[in-house]
Amino acid sequence: MGGKKAYLAGIRHTLPERRLDNEELAAQFPGWTAEKIFEKTGIRSRRISAPGECGSDLALRAAQGLMEQLRRDPADVDYLLYCTQTPDYIVPTTACLMQHRMGLPTTCGALDFNLGCSGYIYGLGLAKALIESGQARNVLLLNADTYTKLLNPADKSVRTLFGDAAAATWIAAAEEESLVGPFTYGTDGAGLPNLLIPAGGMRRRAEPDAELISDDSGNARTVNDFYMNGAEVFNFTLRTVPDAVNRTLEKAGVSAEEVDLFVFHQANRFMLEHLRRKMRIPAEKFVLAIEETGNTISCTIPIALEAARQSGQLAPGALVMLVGFGIGYSWGATLVRWPSRPS
Amino acid sequence: MTRIEFLRQLEGHLEVKPGSLEESQRLSELVCWDSMAAVVFIALADEQLGVTVSGDQIEQAKSVHDLLSLVRPGLV
Repeated sequence: MGGKKAYLAGIRHTLPERRLDNEELAAQFPGWTAEKIFEKTGIRSRRISAPGECGSDLALRAAQGLMEQLRRDPADVDYLLYCTQTPDYIVPTTACLMQHRMGLPTTCGALDFNLGCSGYIYGLGLAKALIESGQARNVLLLNADTYTKLLNPADKSVRTLFGDAAAATWIAAAEEESLVGPFTYGTDGAGLPNLLIPAGGMRRRAEPDAELISDDSGNARTVNDFYMNGAEVFNFTLRTVPDAVNRTLEKAGVSAEEVDLFVFHQANRFMLEHLRRKMRIPAEKFVLAIEETGNTISCTIPIALEAARQSGQLAPGALVMLVGFGIGYSWGATLVRWPSRPS
Repeated sequence: MTRIEFLRQLEGHLEVKPGSLEESQRLSELVCWDSMAAVVFIALADEQLGVTVSGDQIEQAKSVHDLLSLVRPGLV
């Protein structure tokens, strides 16, 4: 198969057209102002997929844009990894549909993997494994979610945070030193009650007449809607993120000072700033890119990388720590050497 | 950090007037107390006192006094 080391050849993301800004949310939730929502979350607006618009529709545009940018052809893809928790259908696999829609060779491998905010790290880990074991030369990783379709309109605790997006990442084989890894992972299924949709799966089927229940903070949802226990999720990140970073540094044999940039999953600004201070990461080495897109699940890291590249915070050759964490609970971290070659 | 110092810090983070939080106040009667305020409290306990407070513990707390009891190990 020739070269067997993985590198990040390019990243591209797309967003749905409709923008939901804080003014619109404040008008729906009396007692809140646009500025208060921004102060609490660090988010000014998020993008909302149209009815019937799927993550795969966004991913298709991202992938086509990326191939154009890289001057690559669908025929070059020999493995498609598709990360989503909002697939087009319960079955079949969205990656299979994408093979057909994108015109990828029928000889390519394609699979979905169901992870949320840790999904970018796991996707890179799988891509590296496929390339460095000689199973593939060009892996297209697609991350796509339309979480806003899972939220109850009356639940401001999550409507203020989440937005929809898709990202495409091309991971290719090269003869040189690997530019992706090492990886560390983490899983704790005890997090189930704190991030879930109680009904709609096989364990508990969707309940069309489910009661709308309000919590103490005035947020209302049914068992068919996404639920997040913000306090417990915050504690989960405090327990796991610093440890994941330290384990990754140790595995790579580098110090925190040698890392040029830290790109964490963009959950909300408050949580990110707290983690940054706790881990004593200088502000100039830490990416905050949540203001215009919100929490876009496994797309936040590629979106943040692009924002950092555009702002000049991410330079060619930089050593970048990526950390994803969230629903499952599931988390992972890796180090990426940003390619010197233009993409 | 003393109880009073911690209360003043909490007031700052919850954006309420300095000196307005009293231990006897019930959380259900505080306009500023919501799910985000609970996260702010956990962050403050972690950052300033090195004390871990769980979401369940906060859910059990009924008053400002109950909240302060949760961080007692970190206070002087």
